[in-house]
Order: sequence, then C-alpha cells, then structure tokens
Amino acid sequence: MIPISIYTKAITAIAIFCATAVGTIQAEPVAHWQFDHPESPQSLATQDLKTYGAVKFGQAGPRSPEFPDLSSDNQAAHLDGKGASLLALGAGEKGDFQFKNGETITIEAWVNPTSIASGNQVYVVSKGRTGMQKEKYANQNWSLRMYGQNSVAHLDFLFTTRVDKQEPQWHRWRSTAGFTIASGWHHVALSYEFGNPDSMRGWINGIPTDGEWGLTGPTTDPPVVDDDDVWLGTSMGRKASVSFHGSMDGVAIHRARLSDQEIESRYNREGGPRLTGPTSEQMPDLGEIPAGRVLYSVTEQFPRHTGWLHYGETLPAPTLHWQGDAFLLPRIPLPYDDWGIRSRWDSPVLLRMASDVDLPVGPQKLLLRARGLSRLWIDGEKVATTKADTVRYNGGRNPIHPPAQPPLPGVRPRQGNMQEVFAEFQVPSTDKTQEADQKHRCRVVLEVVVGGRGVRTESGEVCVAIETPDGQSYDILRPAGQDRLSLTQEVAQSTLTRIEQDLRDLDATTRRQAAASEDPFWDNRHTRAREWIAQNPPPPVPSVAGPTDTHPIDAFILTKIQHAQPAEQRSESSDAANFHGKILPILRQHCFRCHGEKDQGGLRLNTREAMLNGGDSGSPAVTPGHPHESELLTRIQTDDEFTRMPPTGKGLTPEQVSLIKDWILSGAAWPERPSEAVAVELPRRIEDAAFLRRLFLDTIGVPPTREELDQFVNSEDPEKRSEWIERMVADKRVADHWVSFWQDLLAENPSLISATLNSTGPFRWFIYESLQDQKPLDRMVTELVMMRGSAHEGGSAGFALAGGNDSPFAAKGHILASAFMGIELKCARCHDSPYHSSTQHDLYALAAMLNRKPLKVPTSSRVPAAFFDKQTRESLIKVSIKPNQSIQPSWPFAEETGAKDDDGIDSVVHDPNDSRERLAALITSPENRRFSRVVVNHFWKRLMGAGFVEPVHDWEGQEISHPELLDWLAAEFVSHGYDERHILQLIMSSAAYQRVPVGQNANVPAESRYFNAPDRRRLTAEQVVDSLHVATCSPFEAETLSFDPEGRTTMDDRLNLGSPTRAWMLADLKNERDRPSLSLPRNRMIMDMLEVFGWKGARQEPVAQRNQDPNVLQPGILANSVLTTNLTRASIDSPLAELAIRAESAEQLVDVLFRQVLSRSPSPEEREACVAVIAPGFSQRRVPDDEIQPVPELPQLPKVTWFNHAQSEANTIQTKNEERLRQGPPEDPRLRAEWRERFEDVVWSLVNHPEFVWVP
Amino acid sequence: MKIDPRLPFSTATTSSLTRREYLAGIAATACGLAVPRVSLATFPSTLVRGQAEHVISIWLGGGMGQIDTFDPKRKGDVKKKQPGAYYDSIDTAVPGVQVCEHLPQVAKLMDRITAIRTVHHRVSEHAAATNEMHTGRATSGTVTYPSLGSLIAHERGGASDISPPYVLIGYPNVARSSGFLGARANYLYLTNTNEGPVGLSRPDGIAVSRQNRRQSLLATLRENARNLDDAKLRDYEEAIEQSIQLSGPKFGRVFDLEREPAELRNQYGGEFGQRCLLSRRLVESGVRFVEVSHNLNFLNGVGWDVHNKGILEQHKLIQELDSALATLILDLEEKKMLDKTLVAVTTEFGRPPEFDSGGGRGHQQRAFTCVLAGGGLQHRGAWGETDELSQKIVSSPVSVPDLFATILASIQVDYQKYLYDGDRPIPVTDGGRAISELFI
Repeated sequence: MIPISIYTKAITAIAIFCATAVGTIQAEPVAHWQFDHPESPQSLATQDLKTYGAVKFGQAGPRSPEFPDLSSDNQAAHLDGKGASLLALGAGEKGDFQFKNGETITIEAWVNPTSIASGNQVYVVSKGRTGMQKEKYANQNWSLRMYGQNSVAHLDFLFTTRVDKQEPQWHRWRSTAGFTIASGWHHVALSYEFGNPDSMRGWINGIPTDGEWGLTGPTTDPPVVDDDDVWLGTSMGRKASVSFHGSMDGVAIHRARLSDQEIESRYNREGGPRLTGPTSEQMPDLGEIPAGRVLYSVTEQFPRHTGWLHYGETLPAPTLHWQGDAFLLPRIPLPYDDWGIRSRWDSPVLLRMASDVDLPVGPQKLLLRARGLSRLWIDGEKVATTKADTVRYNGGRNPIHPPAQPPLPGVRPRQGNMQEVFAEFQVPSTDKTQEADQKHRCRVVLEVVVGGRGVRTESGEVCVAIETPDGQSYDILRPAGQDRLSLTQEVAQSTLTRIEQDLRDLDATTRRQAAASEDPFWDNRHTRAREWIAQNPPPPVPSVAGPTDTHPIDAFILTKIQHAQPAEQRSESSDAANFHGKILPILRQHCFRCHGEKDQGGLRLNTREAMLNGGDSGSPAVTPGHPHESELLTRIQTDDEFTRMPPTGKGLTPEQVSLIKDWILSGAAWPERPSEAVAVELPRRIEDAAFLRRLFLDTIGVPPTREELDQFVNSEDPEKRSEWIERMVADKRVADHWVSFWQDLLAENPSLISATLNSTGPFRWFIYESLQDQKPLDRMVTELVMMRGSAHEGGSAGFALAGGNDSPFAAKGHILASAFMGIELKCARCHDSPYHSSTQHDLYALAAMLNRKPLKVPTSSRVPAAFFDKQTRESLIKVSIKPNQSIQPSWPFAEETGAKDDDGIDSVVHDPNDSRERLAALITSPENRRFSRVVVNHFWKRLMGAGFVEPVHDWEGQEISHPELLDWLAAEFVSHGYDERHILQLIMSSAAYQRVPVGQNANVPAESRYFNAPDRRRLTAEQVVDSLHVATCSPFEAETLSFDPEGRTTMDDRLNLGSPTRAWMLADLKNERDRPSLSLPRNRMIMDMLEVFGWKGARQEPVAQRNQDPNVLQPGILANSVLTTNLTRASIDSPLAELAIRAESAEQLVDVLFRQVLSRSPSPEEREACVAVIAPGFSQRRVPDDEIQPVPELPQLPKVTWFNHAQSEANTIQTKNEERLRQGPPEDPRLRAEWRERFEDVVWSLVNHPEFVWVP
Repeated sequence: MKIDPRLPFSTATTSSLTRREYLAGIAATACGLAVPRVSLATFPSTLVRGQAEHVISIWLGGGMGQIDTFDPKRKGDVKKKQPGAYYDSIDTAVPGVQVCEHLPQVAKLMDRITAIRTVHHRVSEHAAATNEMHTGRATSGTVTYPSLGSLIAHERGGASDISPPYVLIGYPNVARSSGFLGARANYLYLTNTNEGPVGLSRPDGIAVSRQNRRQSLLATLRENARNLDDAKLRDYEEAIEQSIQLSGPKFGRVFDLEREPAELRNQYGGEFGQRCLLSRRLVESGVRFVEVSHNLNFLNGVGWDVHNKGILEQHKLIQELDSALATLILDLEEKKMLDKTLVAVTTEFGRPPEFDSGGGRGHQQRAFTCVLAGGGLQHRGAWGETDELSQKIVSSPVSVPDLFATILASIQVDYQKYLYDGDRPIPVTDGGRAISELFI
C-alpha cells in the first residue's frame, strides 16, 4: 500500500497519502484510516475516531512477507461483529465527506472478515443510515459493504435517493466476483460518479469486477445528503446483523476516481494461490513441560468456536498459563483488567492442557469430556475429538435429556451438556522386552475451544481419563510420577474441590498482581491523606478518671456520660416527662421536618427560644400561657387549606392538638431531658462465651465452632480478647459477612432472566473480592465509581447498569450520595427536595459527572405540569430545571462535604479531564469529611446498633450524638489508609462494645444516645441462615443460580451467579412468569427464610437500614420451614447423625448441642429439660449393624434449564424436585427412628430458642 | 405490647416504617397510643366508592390474548396468516356482548361481569409488565412500589382476628410484594393447595404429637431464658406466640379443602380451580386480598404466553379459566358473598390478532382486557371498545392507574390519597380515575 519506511512512521489516523509503489503522486484522500498503534479510546479520539463496543487494536494486519509493500509489523483493527465500530468524528458535517450528483467517490479498504452470515450485508464504511434518528432511517449517502453468500464475500455499494415525503428509493450495486470469507487479507475498492450509473466499478485484490444493480436499480437521481455521521464497521443503530466481524485496515475515501492501474498497484502479494479453509491439523509443539505437571494455558481471540485455524490465521501468545497435576478442570480461570477488576475473556478462547504421561503399553481406552470443540493428541496423533455445541434456543422447547449415566458403575457421570467420547489408542512399546507393566512416556495435549459467539465462556468440567487395566473403572489422566486418581464420584468430587481451591488461589494471584500496578498511586494518596490529617487533626482524646489505659472510644463515651446530669439531680418532674414523652415527639413528627434544623419561612421550632421568636411573619409561634394567641395552635387546628400545618398528610389528631394546647397553657416549658439511669450507668462486661459469639457474628457472620469456643473460654491469657479480635478481623470470611451490607447500600440487583426492574450487573464479585483483598475503602469506592471491568461478569461496571431505568446515572448519583455522603437525593430525581436543601440540579450535575458529559432530565422523571395546576396552595415541591435543559457535569456538594473541585483534585487522579474520576476523588479525598464520617458511622451502627447520626443515609439537619468521637474515628480511618478492619478492631476493643447489650440508643434522640452499651441486635437474615447451617454442621446446598447452567447463552442474556455457599450469594429469582420450571426450589427454600428476616434479593433501591422488626413469620419460618426441617434432621451420614452416634451420654450430647447451636453450655434446668427428652432409649439408640436397612437412592431427574423449561415435563420435573425437597434427605438408618426423632426435636428446639436469633 | 388485631403480621412499631410512622411509633410507645390506620372514616365524599370488602385477584401470567377470550372478533386463518380470532364467538347473558366459544359458563354470567376491553400500557417485556400490572407503575429506582394487594392490606388490614390481610397463591416476586410499605403489608404465600402457607404450616412428616413435644420443650427452654427487661426480646416473644397460634388448627382449617363438598370441588376443577376454592375460603376467614396465579403451565407448557405452538392448547387454559371463574362467581353468590367480593382477572398484556411464524401470537400492550366480577359493581358485560381486530382502542380507554382506582374504589380505599416512603409522598395510584359508570 505504501512504502515501509513511510508506513511505519504513519501514526495519525488520518495520514497524508503518499507515493504508491509505482511512484506516481495522487490526489490526497479525504480520509485514510489505519490502525498502527494499540490505541486507547482516549488517544484515538484525538485522532478523530471514537470507538464503540469491542474494537481491538494491535491485531496483525496485512504484512510482509506475504504483502511485501507493507511492514512486517503492520497492525489492524478487529471488530466483534456485534456493533463494535468507529465513528469518524465530525466527518458527517464536512463537505469532504458529502457527495452530490456529478461528484465521484472511491472507497478502498483492506478487509479480513471472520464471518458474514449468508444473506447479510455488513458495513465497512458508510455515511448516513446510522439509525440515530428514527425519521432518518434511509439517509444513506454512500456505503461500502460486504455481502456474504455461501462463504463468499462480495462488494456491495448502497445509497438512497428521494427520502422526502416519498418512499425511500434504495440503489444497490453488488459485485459479481468475490473472495472466500475468512481466507486472510483482501484489498477491496469501488468507485462511482453520482448521477452516472455506468460509472460504477469495483476491484477485489486489484482486479476489476463488474456487478449488478438491485433494489430500485440504477439511477441518475441525486443521493441523499445530510450531516449524519460517517461510521466504520456498522450501521442502523449498531445492529449485529449489519456489523463487520473481523479485521480491517487502510480504509480510505477519495473524491476522485482511481485508475485500474492505481488500484492494482495497491495489491502486491507473495506466495502461491490463496489457500482457503482450515489448515491441516497438527499437535502443537509446546516444548519442555516440567516433570509431573500438567501445563494449562488460555489463549484469547481464537477465530471461531466452530472450527480450528484457517490458512493465514495465527494464534497469539497465551494470555494466561498455569500448572496443575491432572487432566481435570472444573472451569477456566477468571480474567481481570489491569486494575484487578473482573473482566471478560476475549472469546472464544483456546484452552490447552499438556503433559508427559506414562501410559501402559498396548491398546488403551480413553475418555474425553468437553463442552465444545476439542481434540486430544497423543504423541502427534489425534485420538479423540468433540464437536462445537451448536444447540440454539427453541422457545424453551429444546429436548429434555435423561440424566447422564456413568460410563461404568461408580464412575462420576458427565455433567450437564458435556460431550463424552471414547477412543482407543495403541501405546507403542519402547523396547523389545514386552512386560505386562511396561509403560511408555507419551506427550498428551488436549485443546478445547471455550466460548464463542452467543455462548458463555465456560468450559464445563473438562476431563481426560483412561480405563483401568481391569476394565472396571476410569482413572483421571495424570502426569508421569503422580499417583493414580480414580474417576469415581467420591474421588473426583474431592479432587474437583482441591482444583477449585487452586483456581481460586490462581484468580487471587492474577487479580492482586494486576492490582499491584495501582499500588504506588494509592500509596501516594494515603501519604497525602495522612498529611492532611496531620494538618487537620481531630479533637484530642479527653482524659477521664480511672485506669490510664482507657480506650480512646471509652474516654469519649465516658466524658459524655459524666456531663449528663448527675443522678441525684435528675429531673423527676412530671413536666419533663410530659414534654419529652408526649409534646416533643409530636413536634418532631409533624414540625421538625421543615422547622427543625431547617427553617422554612424563617421559622424554627426546635428550641423554646426559637418558638418564641417566631419566623418571617414576625409574630411568635407560641405565647406561653395563651394558647389562643399562639400561631402554632391556630395553624394546626385550622381547616383552611392555605395555612394549615403540617401542609401534607392528615395532620394532628384532636388528642395531639389538645396536648399541645395544654402544654402552651401551662407555660410551654422546655425542661432538659432527664437522663435515664439505664442510659448512663455502665453495665457489666459480657462473659467470654457470649463475647466470642458476638465477635464471630460481627466479623465472619457465623458463630464459632465448638472447638473455637472451648479454646477461647478455656484460655487464661489475659490478652485473649484482643488477640482474637485481631485474628477475626483479619479472617478471610469477613468478606462473606460484610459483602451484603454493601450489596444493600449500593443496590446490587442482578437478574437471572430479563435485565429489567432496575437490575444491575453482579458487582457483588467486585465488592467481595475488594473485601477479600482488604482493599482500602477509598480505593474500593473509587473503583466502583469508575465502573470498570465487565458489567455482567462481576466488574464494578455492573454498578453502572439500571435495567429499564430512564436515567441510570441519576439512579447511581442518588446511591453514591446517600451511601457515602449522607445526602438523600431521592426526591431530587423529579423535583427539588421539599425537606432538604438539595435540588434536582444537584443530582443531575452529579449524574453528568458520571456520564462524562452533559445530561438531560428524562421527561418521565419530571413532575407533570398538571400536578402544579391542581395544587391549591404554594407547592412544597419545585422543579427548577427547564425541559430539555442540559445539565453540565459539576460537583454540587462542596459546602456539605468540604471537598472542592479545584486544582487540588488534579493531583489525585490519573486523568484530570475525566469528570467521573474527579467525582470518585471528590468523594474519597480526605477533604471530604462527610465520606470518612459517614462510613465510620455505618460501621459504628453495625456493631453498636445505632449510629452517632441517624438516619445513616440522610444527615441533613441531624444532630451528632458524639461529634468528637466521630471525628476522631474518622481521622483514624483516614490516617490508617481507609482500612475498614482497623476501625472494626478499634470499636471491638473498646469496653463499650464488650458490655452486655442493654443499650437503648436506637430509638432516642442524639442528645440521649450515650452508647454505654451496644443495643440488642437481631441477627441479619444472612446470619440466621448461615448460622443455621453452622449450628447443624450442614453443608450449604443450593442449585447453581442460573437458568442456563450449560452456558448456551451469553452472560448478558442469562446470568450465571454460580452455586451459593453462603447466604449473601443468593439473588432474587424473579419468577414473574410463575413457572414451576423456573423455580429453583432449593434457592427458594433458603430465600423464604432470608426474606422473612429482612433480606431483599430485588434491590430496586439502596437499603441503608433494613427492616429488622419482628413479625410472626420469623419464628414461623424457623419453626416450620423446609429448610429447618431438613437441616435439623439426623439425615444419612450427616454430622448431626454422627454426633448422635458418637455421643457418650445424653448429658454430653445436650452439652455439645448447646455449644454448637447457642455457643454456651446449658444451665442445669435446660440440661435437665433436654436430657429428659433424649435419655429414654439413649443406650439403645443405635440399630445393630446387621439390622441396618440400606437407604435406596432416588433416581436422578432430568435437568431443567431455560432451553427446555417451556416443555410441560419441565414443570413436572421441578415440581417433583420441590416435592423431594419437602420430603427432605433420608434419615440415618443407624439410629432408631423413635429416638432419632426426639433427638431432632432437641436440635429443633435449640434453633428455635429465641436466643438463637439475637447477637449476645 | 398491644397487637392491632387487624394487623396480625407484625408486632412491630419501629424501623421498617416510614419515617413518619417511625416517629409516630416512638410517640406511640411513649404515649401508649396505637397508630390509627382507618381509611373508611376518611374516604372523601367526592370520590366514587363501592361496597366490597374483599378482592380475589386472578392473575393470568404470560399475557391473556383478549381476541381469543373476552374481546372476540372475526376469525382469522393461521395457515393463510390472516389476522383474527382463533375461535368462534358466542352470545352471552348480556345482549350484544360476546365471548369466545370456550367460555360458555362464564358467558351465562356476563351480567355479573364486566370485561374491561380497553386496558393499556407501554411495556412489552414479561417481568416489567408483571410489575406494571401489580404496582400500577414502572419501576423507578428510588422507590420500590407496593403491589395492589399490599396497598389494600395496608389500607384495610385483615377482616378478622385470625386472618392475614394478603395471601398469595403463586410464586413470590418483588412485583407482588409490599415495597416501601414493609413487612406488615406483605403476603403470606403458598404454591400448592395441598399445603398451608410457607412458614405457618406444620412441615410434612412432623405429626401433631411430635409438634406438641417440640413446642413443649421449646416452651420450657423459653421460660428458663425469659428476659423481660428488653422490649425487643419481648416483642419477639410475642411474635413467637402469635406464630404458634397462626400455625395452629384455627387458621390451618381454612386450608383444608377436604371440608368442602366433593361435588363443589369437582365443579371448581383442577389445581387452578382448587386455588379459586381456597381463595373463597380465605376470604370467608377474613383475608382481604387473595392473589391466585393461574399460570401453572402444565396444560401447554407456557401458560398464556402463547407464542408459536403454545397456542395449540390455549383452549384448554380458557376452558379451565371458564369453569373455575364461573364456579367461583356462583359459589360466592350462593354464599351471599359476591357483592362483598370483587373478583378481578388481570394479566400482563394482550396479544395481537396476527399470527407469528409458528402460528402463535406475540405481545400487545396497547389494548387488552382485564375482567371484573361481583364486588357490588353495576356490571354491564363489557366496558370500552376496540377496533375490528381488537388492536386499537376506539372508546373509553382505561389506563392501569384507572383500573387500580376502580378496584380500590370498589373496596372503599381512597384512591387519591398519599402514602409516604420516608419523606416522600406517593399517591396510591398515579392519577387513576375509577370507572364511575360501574358504581352508579
């Protein structure tokens, strides 16, 4: 195309076109796009191109030696054929790109299409018909497309005439000649003088081709010309069916006709005739493989999932490789982006497993399991293959297959839709002495194509096994020197568990290595944060009487208590009781919303003085002793719609009005609130066992095991509490307990079926891994706001989604403001907040920062004008944004938070021009005093039962119960690198946290919150369910959370959330279709309990404070649910059955159960009551061995998935599964039924003991 | 603490409540006052108002095709791809009103029924439409709206001291739940008429004697550990007591369909009919709102979502609806409950007159039919008119908020009042107007 020396220097996307190979000088093209450097989207934008979707740069382009005129490292762009495209910025408005009658266009490009469905036309480059404006659906000025027919690509030129008022006229020309799709690089060109249909000419690889006009045929009419955009790679709103799939390079537009000679000179290719189709298959040479190891690798961008490499295609270097010790793999590892956030594989990928294996000489039978296309090599010979999975969705009526049978009895059957093939292989002997146990070392390589267009990048359980010499079973293939591993159900299961653990470690390593690239940035941020705290120190810790080692938290708390009225001076007057018990609550409920900290109409009513001063009207609100001269009374009594207070709702009841009246009459006294003894006295320290249970629940979300309990209680180490606190806050399972707090607060709401109803991506995995990695919170929040990685695979990009929401970024702005700054913008979605100072503009300015450009308020989020017409008095709400007003990105909360969007922020971001990153920094920088305090307040509330500020998500106008302590804790948080665990450890080490839970902080105003002790807290829903499993030693069993566990759709379409192992991993089933076939009964059973205790799977909005109220279904579900019934059963081979069998005595068994379920020993009365139930028949509880009846196994039922769920039988199967679940697991036959039932009754009673659901 | 007998599903006074109620709760605790929640007394005189006390809402998941049921038009031809009804039409008890041939029993009762033929909304996707038809709104992202059942449960409570206000016979989902109204307005649910509600029925395989043994041991343990110092613990103890009572025989008897005459049970028909029968028993016991889900899809695999071949057995669904609905109406009438019980048949959306490539039908949300029966309304067989292929509304459009307003008015709930999600006022319906002609 151009001489190498110049080509390699061409950097800009629009290059000056230079000399051709034959040396003639040409007119300059108006555009010539080539893609020589792996561009980031930002840098590309500076070169007048903007990418959409999965455009990949740095791909091999047409190169020497095949194309000697081009450099050997020439690079091209790859488009995914699903809408990936490039927009030529501003080109649409330039006359250069607009062609009228009499003007000539020549378009040329290098293309290497991977696939074009037969009958489809895909766009290489075009002007107009972008589909961005409905009425302009037919505004095609010009276009170069590729038309696919039976694996051959033809040139296709399309434009329209006459769109105004009449039906559009489409004019299409198609070349006669073509080239084979997916056969390497081709040069294509066409030229046309508008108005002159005879001028049409096309070239393929420099050779002219004729063609035919179609649709409305040739025309002399002028084409449609407007200012619509020029796009590369797609059209019509980025429809997949018109999107180019493959690579392109050197796309040029000329305003002149190029001669045959000129075009011919572009294409200079070495080598014989162009070979098309698959290359001959060969076992890859993988070099040395460490002895005893299996080498695994994953290579991205495999060209197709339906076949192997074609001529001209090469395999890039593997993205990831690792080692193992068996030809067994439950899944491929997870991909992460360069910040360590979950991303997606560039699918399809090639999975390879290779090893040197000692195989017995002679004929061997092998077993191969793979989901898609695969081939197994031994010493260069292809011995077994599987085909690509091409099953497509058929309205839910795909066949229901019977459950997979094991190839031999006892062998683990294939899982799901894995293919299973068998192969015979003759292992040659190495020397002449044929001995029975002689072995031959073979190189074994398995290649599997994973993922592909329209399918999930999941491998399924891949396995290669070899039949055992006795022909009775299979062994998993292992490298030379490794022990044999049988493919029996039991061994395979434990091997899979081990491999899964290895994979998790591998994932963690990949993730942390990637994340390490950002560590220096955060080290700087944290250094800066420490310096900021040094310059803005928190209040000093007060000194208090007592021991010198008083914990700082206790020092602050004791100071407030000491300042409370001394006990003997406590006002016992009926005035105070009346005022604080009756009057103040009425004022608080009805008035303070507007006249508390806020002063609507200049009026405050939250002090006596303010009341007497009155507001803007000038007259006092209350005249003590004279109710009828008091405006307050007049306003609350009147029926006049224009002056009535409160302005909305039903107003005060007659009883309430009369209480206020009497209070004014008797002088409107405002006595100080009496401190209740219970709030200021210091209760006792909680005992060891209860402390440990509390510590475990607050850190890892489940109670301690019996062994841990005994170890702790029996230890005489005086430092044991602080040691165990330190141990527990560092425990990996802290992530399992704390993740649900963030899921609630950030409204994580993934959908298994349709992504509507404000659903998000599953960014639970981003949160979970951030917590596991103990990511500093400022960093976690920054990465959340940056919305990185893959939206449907668990990256923080999933936070950006809001299915069916008319303004997703407004929704996210609302979440971020309430979660991290205590600013409630719920009302601001549609109008300025009536009870807050925030405006609609604030919310949309924030949303525009996330949007990285101005944002409009959608009409559906506006209060209709008719609403205001109906109002009879001045409306409380106002709409200050005009329709169609575009809101600029700007930071609205400088005043509330202290963080200013100034030059200082430039130094704490990667890209100062990115408003989204600026927002992240403004939220998380130390200057934002709200962030640190709001977060610390959340933690405090989680551990102590109430916040310093309530409600935790809406601080405006709220008092802080302990302002100094809050500031001190916030400073600790900031100066310790925003480490959540440091704060947890601080709070847990305080005496306040370690007291008996008699605190009464939650339901009193800030002034009366002393935090002399934690409030009593009920277990969260997740804690109830997880504790129930731990208490009964039961494994967590639930179906894989996916309606497509076989990976036949993409993650965007049908999510797979994996198999839950803790309660937080569940998700709303969204069975709006009411189909039993979509019921996932085990998940439903667990969710029944979760929901009753306040968990919500469908988090349509953020939840800062769950409903923790008692209701009858809570004890009901614990008593009667299928989950309780099944978990409290001494089922076959269960740990509970084992406990019963091994018990030494009824007393010992009761003791064990108490410690197991309630983390304490029974009192003598309790022991006696329980022993009375299980002592009778205790010694005869075991069935003699020769009388034990074997328990028959139930036959497996076929698998129901999205693909076959619409078959009637699918409903029957799932209903049967529900029925089986209700029947529960079979009882352990080693125990006599009569005694076993009584034993189970004791277990049941303990989990139903009210104590079970309370944090001690 | 004092339990409001109309709200047996919560002993709560605090934090789940809206901020208003939360503060009121503090006041109530301090003053010893209960929170009043009586809507009847405050029903504005300017609004239409019916006389019903209960609602049985039959839900046809997947989207009932109006042209093949309650809004029949000229027949089409699948083979020729000629749009139109799938079945013949028959006359009904109301002159001029026709229904499809597979609704013969209901046809005789059309004078107690009004098919509202002009319901419309804008959502074509199942989950979103289900949400729209249950909450009367699109999702917002800042408020989780309550379902119609929860609105009525919240406003009217249960009608007796043993019954919950809202029972769902079908799978739980967020559209059916109570949203910001909290747990006390939420449903009890069951998916199988052989069992009682989840959480309040004795588990399979636990005999009464064994249940008693468990309860007695638990009672001893609770007695030993009783901590009366703490209000929260006391509230939970109270909840345990109530739960034991509700899972006891008194409420449990309601679910025992064996107590009904065999002939009546047969008339109701299969599992769906039994659900309708159970809903009548629930209403008798004082349940305010029952949602009965029809979409069991055993008959044709996909229920009312009759794309492609799903339509081949649609008539079986219609026949099942016919016998169950007709029997329910007559049974309620016989028990003198029809005027006090509004039966509503609602669905996600309708279906177009055209046939898809497999001979079935797609989704049509711009015009479809919901059905009201009984409830003391002035029925007229049909309300509203669509064009010759029931594709477009010709007269008297009824929006989803209008439909909600009509149902709320019939059960005497002020359909213009505001509820509060925290500080935020939320109108019960989005500006819905009741069809006043049904109340004259």
